[in-house]
Amino acid sequence: MEYASIEREIHIDAPPSVVFDVVSSPEHVREWWSVDTDFEPAPGSTGELVWADGDDPRAHVEQLTVVAAEPPRLFSFRWTNPAGESAQEGNSNLVTFELVPSGEGTLLRFRETGFRERGWEAAVLEQRYLDHGIGWDRFVPRIQAYAEELAAAA
Amino acid sequence: MTAAIDDDLWSAIGDPTRRRVLDLLLAGGPGTATALSDELPVTRQAVAKHLGVLDRVGLVHATPAGRETHYRIDEAQFARAVAQLNAVGSTWDARLRRIKQIAEAIKNASEEKN
Repeated sequence: MEYASIEREIHIDAPPSVVFDVVSSPEHVREWWSVDTDFEPAPGSTGELVWADGDDPRAHVEQLTVVAAEPPRLFSFRWTNPAGESAQEGNSNLVTFELVPSGEGTLLRFRETGFRERGWEAAVLEQRYLDHGIGWDRFVPRIQAYAEELAAAA
Repeated sequence: MTAAIDDDLWSAIGDPTRRRVLDLLLAGGPGTATALSDELPVTRQAVAKHLGVLDRVGLVHATPAGRETHYRIDEAQFARAVAQLNAVGSTWDARLRRIKQIAEAIKNASEEKN
């Protein structure tokens, strides 16, 4: 397994223009991310992602900066940089949605990178861990549940 | 969502020397700061400090052995750290499913209108 990036591809039965709107407009982002946010879907625009918890309306806040907005084929943003720092490689993750026309629908290619650049290189650790034959009893049930979730989503 | 991720655990494994220490402990079994420093380009004192950080987040356990201290990996906590990285991926799966649902609902609604 590789944890330097997360990559997914899903087919959506809707044209790229619609999918672009869903991944890039705050109105829809609020919906699919269950988050309070507002930003201009334009390069360089910044915003916050705000999650409430009980009485605390700002229990968790992340920064977001739009990197690319090229309708209807590409939308990308950086997020999770510390507040007060501008987002760049090394202090944030880069999320990219690439939209490819596919029949009457869209192939959505999702990618999140930046874990390795930020030192989150657990890939190496897990490889070692598995190589040494420990932890399978913990991992196998989890991998199976994960695989079933992916299959159900497909 | 990333709020579920334990910041202390992340910053503990975010340091390359500490990851190397974990690597060595995973590969060679329990070890002391002195033995680990022999295999790392840092002093015994620096290794001891890193082991202290790993100990505080529960990734290693310290056992006194004579004048030295033996450190070993806590497997459950280590598995938890790896699982949290996995969680980042599986939460995106849930978000992508929502994106698909919303986009398809919009498309179906516009087709009904036409």
